[in-house]
Amino acid sequence: MTFKAKTLFKAGIASLLLSTAAIAQDDTIKVGVLHSLSGTMAISETTLKDVMLMLIDEQNKKGGINGKMLEAVVVDPASDWPLFAEKARELIEANGVDVVFGCWTSVSRKSVLPVFEELNSILFYPVQYEGEESQKNVFYTGAAPNQQAIPAVDYLMAEEGVERWVLAGTDYVYPRTTNKILEAYLIGKGVAPEDIMINYTPFGHSDWQTIVSDIKTFGSAGKKTAVVSTINGDANVPFYKELGNQGVSAEDIPVVAFSVGEEELAGLDTTPLVGHLAAWNYFMSVDTPENAEFIEKWQTFIGSEERVTNDPMEAHYIGFNMWVKAVEAAGTTDADAVIDALPGIEVPNLTGGTSIMLPNHHITKPVLVGEIQDDGQFDVVWETDGLVEGDAWSDFLPESAVLTSDWVELKCGNYNTETKTCGGASN
Amino acid sequence: MLFLRACLLALLLPMFAAPASAQTQDFDALVTSLPEGSYSARGAVVGAIALTGDPRAEAILTALLDGALGVIETTGQVVILAPAPADALAGTPLTDAEATSAERIRVNNGLRRDIRAALGILTLSDPDPAKRLAAADAAFRAPDAAQYELLDAAFQREENPAVKSRLAEARAVAILDGDFPDAEKREAIDVIADRGDADAQRILTPFAASEDPDIAEAAAAALASIEQSRMLWGQAQNIWYGLSLGSVLLLAAIGLAITFGVMGVINMAHGELVMLGAYTTYAVQETIRQNAPGLFDWSLLIAAPLAFLVAGAVGVAIERGIVRHLYGRALETLLATWGVSLILQQSVRSIFGPNNREVGNPSWMSGSFDVGQMTVTWNRLWILIFALAVFAVLLFVMKRTAVGLQMRAVTQNRPMAASMGIRTNWVDALTFGLGAGIAGLAGVALSQIDNVSPNLGQSYIVDSFMVVVFGGAGNIWGTLAGAFSLGIVNKFLEPYAGAVLAKIIVLVAIILFIQKRPRGLFAVKGRAVEG
Amino acid sequence: MTSLIDRRMGIFLAGLFVLTVAVPIGNLAFDGKVVPSYIVSLLGKYLCYALLAVALDMVWGFCGILSLGHGAFFALGGYAMGMHLMREIGDRGVYANPDLPDFMVFLSWDELPWFWMGFDNFWFASLMVMLVPGALAFLFGWFAFRSRVTGVYLSIITQAMTYALQLAFFRNEMGFGGNNGLTDFKDVLGFPIQSDATRAGLFVCTAIALALGLLIARAITTSKLGMILVCIRDAESRTRFMGYRVEGYKLFIFVVSAMMAGVAGALYTPQVGIINPGEFSPANSIEIVIWVALGGRGTLVGAALGAILVALAKTLFTGWFPEFWLFALGGLFILVTLFLPKGVLGLIEETFARKKKPAPALQEAKA
Repeated sequence: MTFKAKTLFKAGIASLLLSTAAIAQDDTIKVGVLHSLSGTMAISETTLKDVMLMLIDEQNKKGGINGKMLEAVVVDPASDWPLFAEKARELIEANGVDVVFGCWTSVSRKSVLPVFEELNSILFYPVQYEGEESQKNVFYTGAAPNQQAIPAVDYLMAEEGVERWVLAGTDYVYPRTTNKILEAYLIGKGVAPEDIMINYTPFGHSDWQTIVSDIKTFGSAGKKTAVVSTINGDANVPFYKELGNQGVSAEDIPVVAFSVGEEELAGLDTTPLVGHLAAWNYFMSVDTPENAEFIEKWQTFIGSEERVTNDPMEAHYIGFNMWVKAVEAAGTTDADAVIDALPGIEVPNLTGGTSIMLPNHHITKPVLVGEIQDDGQFDVVWETDGLVEGDAWSDFLPESAVLTSDWVELKCGNYNTETKTCGGASN
Repeated sequence: MLFLRACLLALLLPMFAAPASAQTQDFDALVTSLPEGSYSARGAVVGAIALTGDPRAEAILTALLDGALGVIETTGQVVILAPAPADALAGTPLTDAEATSAERIRVNNGLRRDIRAALGILTLSDPDPAKRLAAADAAFRAPDAAQYELLDAAFQREENPAVKSRLAEARAVAILDGDFPDAEKREAIDVIADRGDADAQRILTPFAASEDPDIAEAAAAALASIEQSRMLWGQAQNIWYGLSLGSVLLLAAIGLAITFGVMGVINMAHGELVMLGAYTTYAVQETIRQNAPGLFDWSLLIAAPLAFLVAGAVGVAIERGIVRHLYGRALETLLATWGVSLILQQSVRSIFGPNNREVGNPSWMSGSFDVGQMTVTWNRLWILIFALAVFAVLLFVMKRTAVGLQMRAVTQNRPMAASMGIRTNWVDALTFGLGAGIAGLAGVALSQIDNVSPNLGQSYIVDSFMVVVFGGAGNIWGTLAGAFSLGIVNKFLEPYAGAVLAKIIVLVAIILFIQKRPRGLFAVKGRAVEG
Repeated sequence: MTSLIDRRMGIFLAGLFVLTVAVPIGNLAFDGKVVPSYIVSLLGKYLCYALLAVALDMVWGFCGILSLGHGAFFALGGYAMGMHLMREIGDRGVYANPDLPDFMVFLSWDELPWFWMGFDNFWFASLMVMLVPGALAFLFGWFAFRSRVTGVYLSIITQAMTYALQLAFFRNEMGFGGNNGLTDFKDVLGFPIQSDATRAGLFVCTAIALALGLLIARAITTSKLGMILVCIRDAESRTRFMGYRVEGYKLFIFVVSAMMAGVAGALYTPQVGIINPGEFSPANSIEIVIWVALGGRGTLVGAALGAILVALAKTLFTGWFPEFWLFALGGLFILVTLFLPKGVLGLIEETFARKKKPAPALQEAKA
């Protein structure tokens, strides 16, 4: 009787084992893709999975790496954070991948960190994040706070003369940290604490009436006011719809967002939003030959002229090319060799510059501030002169100002410059 | 701003000296220089263009503001792209090739503000009162003492009362901006104080700290009274927000009040039926965009019946295929419909992609209007009306039609109803279809304020169940009362507790309330309860 | 009456025993070649789910309380253990702060909040693993059962409870790490959490906990008290009129079940390496109900089996066809409901009964 259940169960286990056994020594280099294809984050992450498939496809057309073809292994962690850890383990242990490109939310990254550390594999993380982290096995190709938030605020102060700030975010660690850094930065710049309003909302918040009206009230104190938005993906559409409908125009109270890109705007009629801003390291509208080629390839690959490109896609583009170069340089996909080879690797980015992998596992990026246009694109109104180096530990938070990360000389992700010791962690 | 004005002056000075013919030439030169330079430099050019008083200026600046001004890269020729492509200066029409080769001249916030201010100057004496009103508005928003003369003149000759009062306010902010006698300033403060809104507060706040005690006092008094009236209006605003949130909850829950409340089916796929309604709206809008853009304003009216049919049909299919095998095993409907919801979600994801889809607001649902100092957005107002209309129709169907009578009969006593000759199978399918169809209608409305994504349904399912249970399952009046009371309580708590805490408090309140009334707000009484 | 270990329970426990012995040996003795470490923690996670399912089956299958909030008790247990593991990190966090966990350091907390006190002690934390969910269940049940909230009303307010807790734990001000939850654990009771031996140890602990949980549940449900519970399930008012204090019995089983869920959560946290507010989400709690329904409600063993099967299906499907696995899972739920009203266990036992008559176990399946 239960015999059947056991057979069923055993069959399952056996197939698990089989897939493990299938690692074998075949002639492909396996690349893991760990992005949610269902659940709440599928909106953002599915595109990144497609980009990875495209990049791998491209590389194979060029003959792979060191004579070996690449093979993508896609799994679905379903926006379920513990499942991210399980799937990361499955990719590395059972499927034998040499590198993983994946994660979007900070919590998913935090969830897989120990796995990568334990199994000594490589993760490329393509999304802008709160910093305060530098791990041996992770390469951060998205923006650190100093590559996005601070230049954007500088722009608003200088060009729009903003003196009063609303820091609105979803209540999780990225907005919390970014807002803390910004608050410290603004107060350092002479902004009075009563001129800063901080507001947090839950994930997927959809009723923005009260908050938008609060912002309007806050903005009526006689000083030029701007909103710095770290509102997360899903909640943005209703937020912007409410802004547009309540008539908050960019000329009165501009909103600069760090999580709103071309993909998010694709779900919106942007006519009432013209002039609101976003700060990123890449915009689809950037006019360079590399970018034109990338967009062309993407739209051909996905089979639609209407699909847009965005910043995390560029981050994967840069990260993937860096990894390819590092593997070529190291002559092997062995994790330690590739991790050592990566710092110092230079690859062209899509905005006409050359990004370098730094010893702290972050990369150099330009910072662009763009205004939303009525066609759902951004018009770059300002950019940094050169490329900005990603800083893992913010200089504006007292606890982390003393920390530095260097995996080349110091071999440490959280080196305390005062006590001259490598953090407290064993890594 | 100061820097800008200095630039403007630098540009203007030689112009005043120049004879009239040279001025036209300058106008041409200014327009040709529009595509180049930084945004702030171009802002100065815009100001200079307006001050030339050239009759072509208005058309060019309007086009620039609307993003309809372009430049042909190769020749540097500035052209107007819409409605009919033409050379901006000469007015000669363009060939198609020329029109397509033109690049749009981009504008940013600062530049847009400059353009509006410049246009304000140009249109102060326009014969169209609406344009004059807009001009006065622009001047009000960008206070500039230098414009006082122009505004004053316009104010003196204005006859339209609405425009005149707006001009008075614009004139007052210009006075407050410049170096005018105290008496005039006090008068200006009174004019602004009469507005009594956020703008007035914004303008007056700096004067409460003025060095002149009279001005400071006048401003402080005005601010105090504004503050008080805003407090009162704030409460009204909260009620409105609460009603609006309540209407959204009502829409999301009302279909469930039928399938769950009346039929007792724990329909976990309810949210996905709402989502189907939203995607139907998207599909309708897409078709209209491609085939008949003129019909866009009608898109929702076309989508509503379609959404009802699509969601209703899926509902009937679910009932016939799955739920009917499970009557009497209410809890197992939870399991099966959860499976249905996963499948529906993934189907939509596979067909339409995981990204948000754009569903536009028709023009009659965009923007807002003011009631006193309360902002009422059109989309929320229409959704409230729509929710109440759906509720009224549903009530009518349930209470006043033969079908409704049969539905109630079947849910109250199935064997008895069957022996009276009612085709219970048919009624079951119809009832479930009705609930599902209404969920589809909710989707049409929610597409106007929320994401249209495969996750749309998930975000409403918990709230919907909460509303139905709070109101009392089986009573659709209860759902109405439940939705609005939860909405209003939530919105009154939000300003004090913040959005997250407000929601937590509401949830805890529901739990406590159910202890007091274990069958909800409007409990169904009698033998039917135990079942 | 009935024996504590009936046939189905015996077979399941025997299977569990084989697994408990074979998996760690296969893993440790052969250096991960026979059973990879990844399978060990995966199976450990499944067994946690199984224990959670047994906990729910006790209240739903035997007492008719459909809790849509059991995930909350599970998560609370997980958090209690997570807090201990966070304290065990000590000064090995990235900021090397000996007193405060990393997330508190960068959110500028000055000192450890009072409710974190004591969690550096393993036994205190272990006590809390059961006490906190138990206390919540007691409080909640005391109000709800006395007020005679029943049926869907009870289900929905349990859902409201877990939803409210989810929102509360999301708040960074709460001091539980917000959305990121608790993570980056280093060791448990001094053993490094990433070593294979620790993992095997945790797996064995989980298996033992599951076996104990099953036995406790079986003992309760086959006792006289268990009979009364079933009476309450089938006719609550009648039981009350017969003079039983219905709310007392309900409260008892609800609290025991919540504690068992807490233990499952506590074992879950170190094995997956993270506990976060997502565990409180109403959808998770619904999934628990689905495990039980799929395995066979009111059978205990079936509930455990259902949890393992669904979790296994999820693991396999998300790897095999990442784009379409929801179709498969959704389809599975529908088919099981329509064609296997007694769940998978029912199917297995019926198949068996048809082969070998007479079937003594069948009698019990109907009990």
